[in-house]
Amino acid sequence: MKSPLPAIAVHSLSKKYPKVEALHNVDLEISEGEFFGLLGPNGAGKSTLIHCLVGLCRPSSGQVLIFGKSTLQDYTYTKAQIGFSPQDTNVDRFFNLERTLQFQGGFFGLSRKESKLRAQDLLEQFDLADKAKEQFYKLSGGMQKRLLIARALMNKPKILILDEPTAGIDVEQRHELWQFLKDLHVSGTTILLTTHYIDEAEYLCERVGIINHGQIVEMGSPQALVEKYCEHRVEILLSEPINAQEFEDIPDVNINGSILQAKGQQLGPLTERILQRILQKSSRKVLDINIQKGDLEEVFVKTIGGYSQ
Amino acid sequence: MTRYRGFFTLIEREVYRFSRLSRQTIFPPIITTLLFIFIFGFSLGSSIRQIEGFSYIMFILPGLASMSVITNAYANTSTSLFMARLDRSIENTLIAPVTYFQMVLSLAIGGILRGLVIGLITLLVGIFSVQLKIHHWPLTLLVLTLSSIIFSNLGIISALQAEGWDHIATFTNFLITPLIYLGGVFYSIQMLPPFWHKVSLLNPIFYLVDSLRYSILGTSTVALSLSLGILIFLTIATFAICVWSFKIGYKMVS
Repeated sequence: MKSPLPAIAVHSLSKKYPKVEALHNVDLEISEGEFFGLLGPNGAGKSTLIHCLVGLCRPSSGQVLIFGKSTLQDYTYTKAQIGFSPQDTNVDRFFNLERTLQFQGGFFGLSRKESKLRAQDLLEQFDLADKAKEQFYKLSGGMQKRLLIARALMNKPKILILDEPTAGIDVEQRHELWQFLKDLHVSGTTILLTTHYIDEAEYLCERVGIINHGQIVEMGSPQALVEKYCEHRVEILLSEPINAQEFEDIPDVNINGSILQAKGQQLGPLTERILQRILQKSSRKVLDINIQKGDLEEVFVKTIGGYSQ
Repeated sequence: MTRYRGFFTLIEREVYRFSRLSRQTIFPPIITTLLFIFIFGFSLGSSIRQIEGFSYIMFILPGLASMSVITNAYANTSTSLFMARLDRSIENTLIAPVTYFQMVLSLAIGGILRGLVIGLITLLVGIFSVQLKIHHWPLTLLVLTLSSIIFSNLGIISALQAEGWDHIATFTNFLITPLIYLGGVFYSIQMLPPFWHKVSLLNPIFYLVDSLRYSILGTSTVALSLSLGILIFLTIATFAICVWSFKIGYKMVS
């Protein structure tokens, strides 16, 4: 049953270091079952925010609640809800993969039998079964990342936090992981993802937050943000020069010889209107249509650039 | 049981770590103890007169057991935690739903078990090689346990303070080892001039050795109650510092 409380609630969260304020009055709520992406340039505060959620960073002020419980006062409860895959490796070098996962299960309260079965399942799921007896630091970078994600899933967490999970993973494995995360999301897991791959966030996330200089500067669904920030462009090449007067009643249309350029936030109706006008003259032929749609990357650049100005 | 599963797994991990590395953790101290017994008991010991009514090897055996417990308990926790800080696997412990008290206790239990195993083996070697008779077994176990808790805790504190392996070694070489050797392991502090006798009473390791000597041989320099009181105080104080350090995430979280 879905909790009426947000899976993650961050209120006026600040984190000050001696020389820098990594987070400044951050407010954020993520509902149970939501797939949320946190985007931002290096040093923006993504990892600090995530570390405050999992207990690896003590906030200077503000509050972090997991299903309504404080990460400081009720930390054993809040930690039990979360699976965390860090950006950098942090695996005990004494243990092989199988034992690493089994110990992780034990830390989160699974019995030996449960831990063993779960570890076997995850090693197979992440294509690491044949490396079960290998030491973590002998694996390739991509395999290490997969093991970190598998480890985060050992306790079947209600909230999965992934800090740049696909960095260093090849394209095929990245797409497999995307599908896996989509399935996990469908099954009800709340997922918080940070990534430098904007297309990844756009493909996976229902909502994204863009963080810069320790503040969330924009938040919303990828579609809503694209509509808010981006102008789509269409460029049509015709078989003969165009008379500019023919299109002067359509705003944001620019004519250059036989090339017509138009821009707008609702590109569908605009393009339809232009094409109807073009095709009224039967001798004209459309030689090429080039559509440039805005995307989350454009939103990211605009919000980050805009903020720094 | 599920509630404590994480805690027991942390203990299991610590025990697994030192038992897996038994060639480094278990056997070398046993060999060292045997060497001490051979050199001081059968070689040099024969030319040293009795101390407080006991042969020299018999007199120093409680001290050797104390030394084994101290060095092994300390080495276990300092190495385990500092290694975990270095490879950042401590972060994975810190995100587990286990209380800070349990985190510290599990680390300490690793040190306690290793210290006790080595300490008891030392005594067993004494029992079989020089017919050592234990005066009071429960008290012996209590003192060995308190000693290993204190030095497990000091190992944790040292691992949290250290910025490199050389810091751990500095703590061992310049603090623990001198205190052990000046704590009456190889001599009775009653043999010292009055000034150095008083100085020795400031050394906490003296109380550890003295109380263990009482529990094994039935003789001590100061009252057992004083020694036990100091050991219990040090046990509680060092453990409280460790739990507090974990609670604030000292040098472990940002």
